[in-house]
Parts: sequence; C-alpha cells; structure tokens
Amino acid sequence: MANKSEKPRSGLSPEQWLKLRKYSQVLFMILFLVFFLWSRREFYLYPADGTSIKQKLINLPLQLDPLVMLAQVIASRTILAGSLLALITVILTLIFGRVWCGWFCPLGTLLDWFPIRSWKKKEPQIPEWLRGIKYILLLVILFAAVLSNLSLLFFDPITVFYRTLTAVIWPALDQIVTGIEMALYRVPLLQPVIGGFDSLIRPSIFPSRPVFYRFGGLFLGFFLSIFALNALAPRFWCRYLCPLGGMLGFLGKFSLIQCEIAEACTLCGSCFSECPTGAIQTNEVVFCDPGECTMCMACAEDCPGGAISYPARIAKVIQQPYDIERRKMLISLGTAALGVGLLESNLVSDIRSPKQIRPPGVINDQLLSTCIRCGECSTVCPTNAIQLAVTEAGVEGFWTPILVPRIGYCDYSCHACGQVCPVEAIPPLSLEEKRKQVIGKAHIDQNRCLPWAEGEHCIVCEEMCPIPEKAIYLEETQVITSEGEEITIQRPVVIHNLCTGCGICENKCPVSGEAAIQIRLHQRHFRNSKF
Amino acid sequence: MNELSRRHFLRILAASLGSLGGIYLSGCLNQDKLLLKSLPSDKISPTSTSAPPTETEPPTSVPEDTPAPSPTMTYPDLTVARHGDPEVMVRKAVEALGGMKRFVKSGDEVIVKPNICVSYYNYKYAATTNPWVVAAVVKLALEAGAKRVRVLDFPFGGSAEQAYNVSGIKSEVQKAGGKMVVMANLKYVETAIPQGQDLKSCRIYDDVLKADVLINVPIAKHHGLARLTLAMKNMMGVIYDRPMMHANLGQRLADLNSRVKSSLVVVDAVRMLMNHGPAGGNLSDVKKADTIIVSPDIVAADSYAATLFGLQPNDLSYIKKGANMGLGVKNLDQLKIEEINLG
Repeated sequence: MANKSEKPRSGLSPEQWLKLRKYSQVLFMILFLVFFLWSRREFYLYPADGTSIKQKLINLPLQLDPLVMLAQVIASRTILAGSLLALITVILTLIFGRVWCGWFCPLGTLLDWFPIRSWKKKEPQIPEWLRGIKYILLLVILFAAVLSNLSLLFFDPITVFYRTLTAVIWPALDQIVTGIEMALYRVPLLQPVIGGFDSLIRPSIFPSRPVFYRFGGLFLGFFLSIFALNALAPRFWCRYLCPLGGMLGFLGKFSLIQCEIAEACTLCGSCFSECPTGAIQTNEVVFCDPGECTMCMACAEDCPGGAISYPARIAKVIQQPYDIERRKMLISLGTAALGVGLLESNLVSDIRSPKQIRPPGVINDQLLSTCIRCGECSTVCPTNAIQLAVTEAGVEGFWTPILVPRIGYCDYSCHACGQVCPVEAIPPLSLEEKRKQVIGKAHIDQNRCLPWAEGEHCIVCEEMCPIPEKAIYLEETQVITSEGEEITIQRPVVIHNLCTGCGICENKCPVSGEAAIQIRLHQRHFRNSKF
Repeated sequence: MNELSRRHFLRILAASLGSLGGIYLSGCLNQDKLLLKSLPSDKISPTSTSAPPTETEPPTSVPEDTPAPSPTMTYPDLTVARHGDPEVMVRKAVEALGGMKRFVKSGDEVIVKPNICVSYYNYKYAATTNPWVVAAVVKLALEAGAKRVRVLDFPFGGSAEQAYNVSGIKSEVQKAGGKMVVMANLKYVETAIPQGQDLKSCRIYDDVLKADVLINVPIAKHHGLARLTLAMKNMMGVIYDRPMMHANLGQRLADLNSRVKSSLVVVDAVRMLMNHGPAGGNLSDVKKADTIIVSPDIVAADSYAATLFGLQPNDLSYIKKGANMGLGVKNLDQLKIEEINLG
C-alpha cells in the first residue's frame, strides 16, 4: 500500500487500483468480522492473565477509530495506551487522504455493496451545504466531550457497525440457520450431517443457545435508514452525516497525496457521475475536494483523457463553503453546551430506574463519560445478560450497557466485559475481584414465589446461587395445602449481605413472565450517583 | 425478459419450498412412528438406551419385594472401591463387576455423562465429577472396544466449554481418547416416557437416547431440595426444561430414569460436597472420602451412596420412587455388595 498513490501510469493501471481497492474492502470486512467473532469467545474461554498480546489486540478495530478515541480521551481525561493506536489512522489520513472511508471502513464498504438506486429517473439535487452536517456533528461530539458527555458517539460508524452486528444481524442469521437446521434435523437420514454441521458452527460462529437483544428493531431501523439514504445519493451517510468522515475529511484537506485534475481535462463530465461522494465539483474550474474524496480512484479509471492523477505534494488548503468555519464552531458549541446542560439539569433525563444494573465494577458517573457506546461488552457477554439501555439510563445513558437478569445472568466464572472494554469504562477486574463486586441485590416477591404464595416445592434460586455460602437461605415451615394436608416446605430468603446481584436466581426462576425474585439496584448505588 | 426470469425464479422457489416441506413432513411422520414404536415395549425396544442384555447379567431389575438376593449369580450387584488412586479404584470396581466388556461391546457408541454443573471451580471443590474418574471410565470403554466415547453435560451456570475446561475434565478426557461434546440445542427431541407416572414426555437429548451405552458418572454431593444429588438426579443434565422437574422432583426423576436408562453407574465419592451444593465453592464443605461405587443398578448405586452421607435410601424421595417403579433395588441387604479396599 506504500506506493499505491503514485501516478497510475508509473505502476498499476487505474483499473488495477480500483480492483485493489475492492479487494481491500473485502479483506477488511472479513477482518472486522473475524475480530467480532474472536472477541465473543476469547475472554470467557481464556480468562485474562494480563500477559497475552493477543488479548490486548482484540479491540484494534475500535482503537483505530480516531473520533471515538479522541472524544473518549477528552471526556474521561485519561489516555490509555491503546487509544494511541488511533494515531495510525491519523497519520495514514495525513498522507493518503480519506483512505479509511474508501478502503477500510466496514460501513462504507456495505454502503458500496448495497447501493439503492433512486426510484426517480433523475437524482435529487441535494444542496451542498448539507455536507456541513458531518462537521457540525463532529464538533458537537467533541465539545460535548469537553463537558464529559459522550452520548452522541452512537453516530460513530464503527460503533454503529458493531452494535448492529451484535444486536441484530448475528442473532437474525443465527435464527435463520437454526430454523433450517431444525427443519432438516427432523429427517432421520440427514441427522448425522446436520448434527456434524451444527457442531462445526457452534459455539465457534453462532452461540449454542439462542441469544436475544431487546429493541433489535430500533438498531435495525437506525442501520436501515443509513442504507435508505443511499437512494438520495450514493454514500449519503459518508458525504453528509458521518462524524468520523468529517474528522478524516478535515485531516484529508492537509494530506500529502490528493486527487488532481490536470488541464488536459475536456470537461466531459464522466468523473462527476462516477465519484461516489461527489467530491469532484466545478465552479469555474474542475477540482476535487480532498475533504470529500475517499481515494476510491473510480474517476481515474473513467477519465477518457487520463487527466486525473494522484501526485504527492504539499497542496494549498482550499476552504469550501460547507467546511468548518467560525459560524459552525459557534453553532456546535452552543448546541453541545445547551444539550449537555439540559441533560445535566435533569429536564429531559430520567429518574434512575432501579433496573439500571451496571456491569460489575462500573461506577455510574464514570461510565457515562468513558463509555463509547460500542456494545463490545454486550457482544462478549456469554450469557447475553448485558443489553443496551434504551430507557433505563435516561437520555444521557442511551445505548450504555445494563444487565437484564431475566435475559441473562452475570456468570460467576466470567469477567469478559471488563477485559474487552476498549476504554476501561468497565474496569478490567481479575476474576477474583469481579466475584466480589455487588451490582445489585435480589428481592423476593412473596406474593408470586411458588413456595411462599402457592405452597409448592421450589428451590431453584437457592440451587443456582453461586455464592459459596449461598446468599439464599431455605427456611423450613409447615403449610397446609389446598387438600388440607400438612406438609413441610422450604421457602427462600435472601441473605442481603451475601448477595452480589449476579441475577442467576432471577434468570432461572420458573415463575412465568416476570420472575418472583428480582435484582434491584443496591441502596448504596443511589447515594453515589447524582440523582 | 425481466418478468420471465422472475416467474422462473418463483417457480424454482415454489418447487424447492414444496420439496422441503415434503421432506419436513415425512420427517415428522417418521418421528411419530419412532415414538409409537418405542411406546409398547420400552425395556427391550431397539431404540432404548438400556444396556444390551447379556446372558450373565444378574436380574437387578427385579421388583424390590423379591424375597432373597440372587446368590447364584457370579457377579456382585454393586462394588465399592476405597482408598486408592481414582483411576485404580474405578478399574478395580468395574473389574469386580465383570469388567467393562460386560457393558460395552465392540463397536458401541458410548456416552459418558459426568456431573459438570457449573463452570465456577475446579474438581477440588467437588461440584463437578473428578476428572480422573471420568477419564478412567473413558479408557475402560475404549479398551472394551467402543467405537467412540463422547462425554457431555449441560451446565446450569456458565457455558459448557468453559465448564469443561475449568473442571479439568476436558484435558483428562482428551488424554484418555474421549471426545468432549458441547450439547447442541437442536438435538433435544420431545420424547414420550411410557412408564412415566407424572412426567409423560419431555425434551431429551437425542444422542443420549440413541447411544448404545450410557455410563452415568455423578459426583456425590449435597442438594437443597433433593438433599443429595447422585446418579438419578444426574440425568437432569440431558433434558431441556429442568426447572419444571422441581415441582415433583422425586417422581419426575424416577420417570425420567425409566426412559433414559444408565447402562452403568459410577458414583464418584473421591471428594464429597457435604453442604452448599450443588454449586459449592467452599473447600471446608468438601470431604475426601476416596470411594468409588459402581453398579448397573442406578437405585442401588444411589442407595449405597446415600449411606456415605449418613442417610438411608428412604430419606431420598427419588430413590423411593425409583424402587417403586422397579428401576432397581434400594434395600442394601438384598444386594450382593463387594467391597475392595486398596488402602
């Protein structure tokens, strides 16, 4: 890749460059998926010992994202060694321009693969000033980060990609594969084949028991609307909205290698329609805006006169009307200040829900200013307990991790979430330390609990409790059944100071619907928080 | 052109969906037939998992009210080995029972079901079966000519892969030549329990039903409701919906064991969990007993194991119900027991 931006004539032909870029997109898509699958399994199979280089590299895709890393460093006021990896992308952009967008970004690749052609004959005219939105979004994110708020990071393309993969695409694929397997497994002849196939793909690619993420439709809707916008213009998201694109575009203005249109240009216009981001524009002269160009090289391939080249030289930075300027700075600053202020003043924020159970070791206020909303913790959680908050954590905490014990419990032998978190928003605790973390407390609803309310035998919560001394005690009593028979029954009672709130009791409680034993926030959490 | 190809595509789609549906339906029909077939004669049905009856097998399945034990038989009903290395104890106890060849024939598919209930601790905490006991059973089965020995369980806490690793069972089983299998969700099939008194059907793991030989290798430990979890309760690991068992645990366990029959039971009491079971977590709750109990009679094995905790067979509801259903003999006086002291 080092000399990829030489003049096309000297090395590869424009067609070959174009092909190379497509290979690069495929390769990086595969790499992103490999990292996704690998992270799901690494930490619960091989608990972290702090020495494995492999485990330190697991977050590479997110650490290469300069927007997420910069915003996180500003908001949390700490620099982690891994965050510095984002400098690789920054340097790459300062040399080659927005290659990230054209060659590597998984979301950009998907948008290239699924172009939605406009239903109208003519593409709608989109005003150029809209390109400024991505810069405003970028600035709002960074200004809000100064005020310790990271809520808007859910617009970052890498987090969008991973979050949707975790919460929607993978579970959906799993359901489809499971459905086909289940149907074919009914055919006796096929059973050995299907059984063998199943053991190949599970648990290495798909989970052995189905996973469930709440509000999948919401994530899918957000993701699909990014695609739907492709109907208005190719890569609409990358052109107008993507805050990471804005950041790289700003850096791209200063890049060493830029697309240059020579005077040999005959104004035939073929590059205008080829350019997926509409970077080639004309006002008096034809030029390519390096802040918009993703170095895809489609124009060079198409240019009949061979007028387009990619020379390396220090070019003059030309300001476009839609670029960052003072007015945009002020608007962003105002929006960020007002937005964060509103959230802080509790006008639009929720009162904290007692169900806002955070992953082990999390300190709530720190979480909000460190969590980058990537959803990695929810990807790796082997029991599917970690879900993304929608209403539980207020507007500010939208898409931050919470535990939903009825869906999954915090596994006593797992500390994967803290290990995988790229920004230590969930502290990287050892397994021993993690086991001691109190994330909530169990409460029994005696009106619904089988032994308490119905006089039926059930000790499932006690049986499941992983605490060595058992945080649930079975109290023996005589009860009279509906048949008038006196029987001895064991009723569960929570031993408050032993319970860590792992939630396996709530998860396995056989009462239908809501469990008869539920985890609620521990009193102490309220005192520590600002509400 | 465009329309034609679309129509063509739809036609292909309809045809393939139709044939898929056909295959599916035929599969359903077959399943029902299988169910029907296994209904009338469970004891000797070809799909049953009970050990292939051999001429020398003692009549351990006779009802408990038979007046006298069966002294004419050459093999004991139950063997107990004490105070030795786990593998040696298993070998001696199985040998005294007539050797593994009595239960495993050449070319048999063998499934070993240890108790790997949680992924929290290693074997020293006595929540999971001793790895060397499991490995010894695997070795014996392979030596007897088994085609393949698979070892499986589905933990209630933590994932199977993790539990296999943490318990130490995976490495020992693999060294012994066995295969650790993660149980697949799609292989739980709704299965009728013809003799069931309370539990008439439930979803049971297909491979376990189809195996030629099922060797049940529980660890002896405390349990809040059942009091102890032993061999009969260990079979909870092969069904899908476990919480529903608790409502009438004793009878339902007996019902389940009437359908999923263990060919051989090896109770691991090398370490016993005396309290805070089944998950454990305190080494102070663990008692080292260095004992292995082996029997083809699951009720007898559980009855003997209960005495290690100072309990009587009648203290455990599933032993009583199991004996009532004729699954085995609970009265230890009626059994021919051979004790082997290796100490």
